[in-house]
Amino acid sequence: MRLHAALALTACLAPHTLAVFADDAYHIDYHHALVGFPKHDATFFQQPYASSKASLIYTLSQKQVIGAVNPKDGALVWRQAPSTWRNDTHGILRSGEEQDTVISAVGDNIIAWSASDGRLVWETRINGATVEDLEILQQEDGTPNNNAKDAVVLLSEGSQGLKRLDGKTGRVKWTYQDTSGDTPFQVSTSPTTVYYISLHTPMLGGSKIKVTSLSPVTGKKLDQYTLNSDSEISSHEHILFAGANTAAPLLAWTDKSNKVLRVNIIGTKGISSFNSPSKEAVEKITLHAPNRVNSLVHFLVEYQTATGHSAEIYHVDLKKSSVSKAYSLPELGGRGTFTTSTSDANVYFTRITAGEVTVVSSASHRIVGHWPVEGSTALTGAHPVHGVSEVVVKSDSVSAVRSAVLFSNGQWALIRNGEIAWTRPEFLSEAVSAVWAELPEEEALAHELEVEGHQNVLAAYIHRVKRHIRDLEHFPAWLQNIPTRLLGNLGGKSHDSAIDGIQHDSFGFHKLVVIATENGRLAALDVGSKGSLVWNIDLHQFAPETTFHGPTLKVSRGYVEVKDAGFQGSLFINSTTGGLLSSKDIKVEPSSLPGDQTLVSFDLVNGELKGFLGAQPDSEPVWGFAPPNGERIVGFTARPIKDPVASIGKVLGDRRVLYKYLNPNLVVVTAVLDTAHSASIYLLDSASGNLLHAISHSDVDITRSIPSTISENWFTYSLTIDSASGSTFKGYQLVVAELFESAIPDDRGPLGASSNSSTLLPSSVRGDAAKPHVLSQTYLIPEEISHMTVTQTKQGITSRELLVTLPESNSVVGIPCNVIDPRRPVGRDPTAQEATEGLTRYTPAIIFDPKWHLNHKYEVMGVKGVITSESGLESTSLVFAYGFDVFGTRVAPSFAFDVLGKGFNKVQMLATVAALFVGVLFVAPLVGRKQINTLWTA
Amino acid sequence: MPSQPPPPPQWVLDLNSAPVSKPKSSIPDPPGYTATVSSKQKSQSSKNAVRKAPTLEEMDTLKVKKAWELAIAPAKQLPMNAIGMYMTGNTLQIFSIFMVFTLFKTPVMAVLSLQRVFAPFETPGTSNRLIAIKVVYVLMNMLMLGLGIWKVNQMGLLPTTRSDWLAWEGERTWSERAVPREWL
Repeated sequence: MRLHAALALTACLAPHTLAVFADDAYHIDYHHALVGFPKHDATFFQQPYASSKASLIYTLSQKQVIGAVNPKDGALVWRQAPSTWRNDTHGILRSGEEQDTVISAVGDNIIAWSASDGRLVWETRINGATVEDLEILQQEDGTPNNNAKDAVVLLSEGSQGLKRLDGKTGRVKWTYQDTSGDTPFQVSTSPTTVYYISLHTPMLGGSKIKVTSLSPVTGKKLDQYTLNSDSEISSHEHILFAGANTAAPLLAWTDKSNKVLRVNIIGTKGISSFNSPSKEAVEKITLHAPNRVNSLVHFLVEYQTATGHSAEIYHVDLKKSSVSKAYSLPELGGRGTFTTSTSDANVYFTRITAGEVTVVSSASHRIVGHWPVEGSTALTGAHPVHGVSEVVVKSDSVSAVRSAVLFSNGQWALIRNGEIAWTRPEFLSEAVSAVWAELPEEEALAHELEVEGHQNVLAAYIHRVKRHIRDLEHFPAWLQNIPTRLLGNLGGKSHDSAIDGIQHDSFGFHKLVVIATENGRLAALDVGSKGSLVWNIDLHQFAPETTFHGPTLKVSRGYVEVKDAGFQGSLFINSTTGGLLSSKDIKVEPSSLPGDQTLVSFDLVNGELKGFLGAQPDSEPVWGFAPPNGERIVGFTARPIKDPVASIGKVLGDRRVLYKYLNPNLVVVTAVLDTAHSASIYLLDSASGNLLHAISHSDVDITRSIPSTISENWFTYSLTIDSASGSTFKGYQLVVAELFESAIPDDRGPLGASSNSSTLLPSSVRGDAAKPHVLSQTYLIPEEISHMTVTQTKQGITSRELLVTLPESNSVVGIPCNVIDPRRPVGRDPTAQEATEGLTRYTPAIIFDPKWHLNHKYEVMGVKGVITSESGLESTSLVFAYGFDVFGTRVAPSFAFDVLGKGFNKVQMLATVAALFVGVLFVAPLVGRKQINTLWTA
Repeated sequence: MPSQPPPPPQWVLDLNSAPVSKPKSSIPDPPGYTATVSSKQKSQSSKNAVRKAPTLEEMDTLKVKKAWELAIAPAKQLPMNAIGMYMTGNTLQIFSIFMVFTLFKTPVMAVLSLQRVFAPFETPGTSNRLIAIKVVYVLMNMLMLGLGIWKVNQMGLLPTTRSDWLAWEGERTWSERAVPREWL
């Protein structure tokens, strides 16, 4: 209780209560709430509850995130990530008709979610097993079931077999144990039977498909047979389709060269064979069939060749148990996809290509709906990969169709009657690295100024006058803009929203962020206009036959350099257009280091940090650092190249100065010792390899990451303390250390006032390299930090804020630096002088103030990294978080002292000036008359 | 030969000439008695007092005295001002700023008008002695100014500490720059 009171008190006393202002929220920040690439078989339109008129799109993505998207505007209704970013590629999402739940299965975890709001209804965990398949029993003994529909799950590993789960509670109703050792493949239900399909692998030769039929009520085995599939099937991948939940479940496979399609109606032993129609080699065969029990048993087979695609529609005759071809759709050039939708018993197939949407009925080849697709900049050059559709049928013709289609450029789009209703940039969920890029105009200006800087005064003057004359061409446009700008200003509306395209703004909030995704896609977002996509390219077009493993980016003037382990050298991409630049086009830029500095590069080589003279990797290392006692280096963080420092000292309450230890070559190395559960932090001078400071922590959970960051003269890192290894508690710690040149105020340490220093060749007079005086403090934090960084401003005058990512609560928090100041007095109240510095009494625990949360109501999932950049305003720093979601905002750690807030009433100010002017007009004659009268009377 | 008129009688003589001085007697006047003085005598005596003009030396001494008084005057205000300054505190407020301003303005103005202040006491005889007085006057005013400076220092407005010159101190330049290889 006392602790609580103390914490509450400190929270009140905190001088900087930074927060996102209510009128700034949703204006300065933006958030792309993503779900990832939707999986074809786990995406569907569905009513959130039985009587609902509108339906939502439910999807389970390749990242195992379950999301419900409103098909009207593409807004996310809810989403859940039940597995913590596991790379299980297998996840299933199913929903029964007229149910208010959707059931997902990822790994060993089966969860039913409320379809309308995403709340958990029940959860069943089958330990040690992996869910291979999940189906909903749509009908009970041939009659529709209006209660919560039960689910049948197929498990592998551990307890292989089938389980029927109660639709209301998730309890197991019956279990069918399979001890044959076959590979479980899929479960399929028909109204009367549950079919369990497995791959039987005999000692010799290929696999055989084994179908076991079970009673849905008792789970008892009814029948079992093996299909003669010869040697065509050896693993999962060769089976094209195992129809689930249809009136006649199908099983289809093909031979290795995709020439012959074999179809079996599950429950029968007959196999129908069909030859593929195309003369060309078929690259891929996909089978599209309706997923409803009461729909017609028609299905579509899609053949994709290198140049085009075609399809054939087949009908199944249930009585004869035969499959016959009904008609075929003509081959079209380019890529396209087919989707299946049902209306009552009728089945409709929608053919979606980049240029048009065509709907055909499964019964006849008549086209019942046709819409040309309007071009959209977001989808330029992309082709549909897969999708789902919903059709509206009126009097035998399709009056409307909407399809949620994943395009090859990673956009998930909804095409409503040929019109692109929305696009969701789902490829951004794969982001692995991001960098800031300047707008072209700013870069051009910076370049011009640089040119002027290198010339003599006269030439520079002429150059500048010429530039100004050139700039006059923008003058008419500027004049034309004045009225709109004025009106926008007076109306109190931020003109941010009016900006379209990339455009320079006076505050420098418009910048580009170039993002690289894991599989080689590069995109640029304009952070000034709500993170809108500027361009989006596939790197494979520039580097064919490369498998990208998380490209790294480096930004230079006007272009981005892309490097990847998958290829030699680097690609140069124009940062404004996304076009490829050849290395000839690029002026080799002088290194960002001043010429008279010696360049030392360092890298982790065989678990040892080594420094090399110059950039050559093969030169002899000048220093090496291997942590003692067999510790393993897990990471290092260097001071950023651009880290401006406004003041080289810290002014104390008595106006003396503690000089900051400002060494640009500081690097924080984190190392762990696996056996002892200890972590050590080493502060190195990376020019000489000197060890400046070392801290060791015991009882550390070394399986968790140890994020660290370094800026100015302080560094910070976070640890997870593990109770298992002897410590009495489990928790998270944030350690902050600040470096000073000397412990004594007004003293510049051993280096004195000398204006230059070298750690490689330390001055002999002064002896050893100067070691900093380190003040450090540990704070307990309520949550684990996965990533941390520091805000950046133009000149470093504004106080900094530590930005930490909390994966547990899906948030990004900005901790003011004075809260974690290591100089906070311990065990006593601050003296008057310390209080003037803003120091408060040390409290061991820091509670993350809700006002520090930058993401307010947004839920920022799976952040891998946060990057910050200066803006045109000194007070403001731009923040961009990427990973799974994309989130961006602006922060002003010392408040926006250099810009008028939204509360400033410009109209009132102008009205006051006008009123004063009118007043002067009235008063002026009166005063004049009085003055003349005084002259006469005097 | 005309006969000489007879001499006037004694009473006439007595009447016409009052006795010049009181007959000296050893008997003092009784207490409370004041000898009546004739108006003529009175006027005569007062005329004698004005006329008795002070000598130049006397005059100079007088002026010097007066000047000393003037020179010491600022010092007399000093304790009063000091208390006032102490009371106003070290925060930057309109009152303390105003007081400090007057504290600076008064001595400076006083020193500037030094000649005018001491002009009435300037004579050839005093001019030498006045120099010391002026010096003291200036010193006293400097004391006052000193109080003002002390106060400004208390308020933290004087650049006397290291932190005030911090902006002119530069960051060290390092002869080496080390960067991780991936930044190159």
